[in-house]
Amino acid sequence: MAEPIVAGVAESDLGETPDRNWLDNAGIATVRALEDAGLALEDVDGVAVAGGNDYMPALVLSEYLDLEEPSVLEGTEIGGSSFESFCGHIGDAMARGRADVVVIAYGSTRKTGPGRDQSLEITHPVDGFVRPTGLFRPPGAYAMAAQRHMHEYGTTEEQLAEIAVSTREWASMNPKAAHQDSISVDDVLESRQIAEPFNLLDCCLVSDGGGAVVLASEEKARELGVPEIAVSGVASTSTHRQDISEMPDMTTTGAAVTGPKAFEQAGITPDDVDVAQLYDSFTYTALVTLEDLGFCEKGEGGSFVEGGTTAPGGELPMNTQGGGLSYCHPGHFGVFVLIEAVRQLRGDYTGDRQVDGAEVAVAHGTGGILSSSSTVVLRREA
Amino acid sequence: MSGSEPAPVEDRRDSWEGPVPIPSGANETFWEATLEGELLYQRCEECGTSQLYPRAVCTGCGTTDPPFETSEGVGTVYSYTVCHVPGEPGFSDRTPYAVAAVALEEGPRLLALLDCDPEAVEVGMPLEVTFWQVSEEAAIPVFVPR
Ligand SMILES: [Zn+2]
Repeated sequence: MAEPIVAGVAESDLGETPDRNWLDNAGIATVRALEDAGLALEDVDGVAVAGGNDYMPALVLSEYLDLEEPSVLEGTEIGGSSFESFCGHIGDAMARGRADVVVIAYGSTRKTGPGRDQSLEITHPVDGFVRPTGLFRPPGAYAMAAQRHMHEYGTTEEQLAEIAVSTREWASMNPKAAHQDSISVDDVLESRQIAEPFNLLDCCLVSDGGGAVVLASEEKARELGVPEIAVSGVASTSTHRQDISEMPDMTTTGAAVTGPKAFEQAGITPDDVDVAQLYDSFTYTALVTLEDLGFCEKGEGGSFVEGGTTAPGGELPMNTQGGGLSYCHPGHFGVFVLIEAVRQLRGDYTGDRQVDGAEVAVAHGTGGILSSSSTVVLRREA
Repeated sequence: MSGSEPAPVEDRRDSWEGPVPIPSGANETFWEATLEGELLYQRCEECGTSQLYPRAVCTGCGTTDPPFETSEGVGTVYSYTVCHVPGEPGFSDRTPYAVAAVALEEGPRLLALLDCDPEAVEVGMPLEVTFWQVSEEAAIPVFVPR
């Protein structure tokens, strides 16, 4: 079956954007990604939006961009994994000839904007059980999952810290990264305690920003003459909503289901993956995802990441833009893992920042409190 | 707590500054019982599924309004964290404090504040329920080491 091609990617300005709202950032990222693809707004057949701090975000963005009769309007909200899941839905629409150019977009002002509306949370029956515990969410909930992993498999705080250290090494080569100064395992362990076992440097940063990914049908991509980065496999699932006590097994995420499915569709195994962009809201998020996608055995994520396995020059380059831990994290980080996967496959970088000869990338999104998982396999066509 | 004897309910209405549950729907029965020192869960008569939080459907077989049972109020720490940053207004004077996912003996898991030295908490630690009344309508389950 025809596979959608990622024809363009871009970020809006990152960091602090006090004069913008979420829509501005999503809109700016969209036009930049279209420009990257050699396309214009008039070429757009539809938008897929998640995380926009609005009711009906796909309608809001298509109006903002004044799209004419869009045929694809996608707004399924499954948190940070929404954008990976969109790749599947849009691919299906393209295969049926319903669209040729669809933009996946995200924008937020998580850092400088007003606090998020909590009304949806309050209406959920589980909140009466969770909020009076005082659990600091999301960090405390992820920390609880990490603690269980440590209990079952002997994973250590030092091993979790290795992920933050390796990710920062990548960030040191990214001028757009919020934090570029190098750190050590001790720096992580000595940073402020947040929710045990997490210290500050185990947690993602908070920023403003947006990102966009332009998907084009194979036919359209050929017309454009862009490098053919194909979406070769997609799978999504969820295990629970936002209450960590409802997670069936805190040491295994939905990635254990979506990884094998996406890999099978793409006809690859984890050994074929040249570069991995895995959602890293916390160090543990990346660690458990490495295991669940099959880059190592269950329970061995800790020893796997020791010694710079995921750092520049390591066996499995991971989060090569600096991840949510060091580059940016405006809330739904899932769009940024796609952007970086594409740039690595196109060979956009030079020197150590570029993963040599990268042909196969995996981009994995995680949403909620380890609640939803979506895996995308991207492949550079010869 | 043993048998059907209710757990202690401590009146904290004057000192509690945290969020309070708002009973509604299937939750009303649950919160009403907390005022009497009883921890309820739902157990389906059709398929035997035990569940918490209360819902209008059984997650095992889809039966509507599965009935409530009284939990023994004992369980173990499935996992926990120690919060050094308060997660809610009204918790800032309490840090550090431990919050656990408590595995009840009857099966379901419940997130709860622990009333003990946070550094003493470990996975598998046996716990029993007590209640802090925080409003006219609800007493929150708070677990202590057993
Ligand atoms: Zn049932």
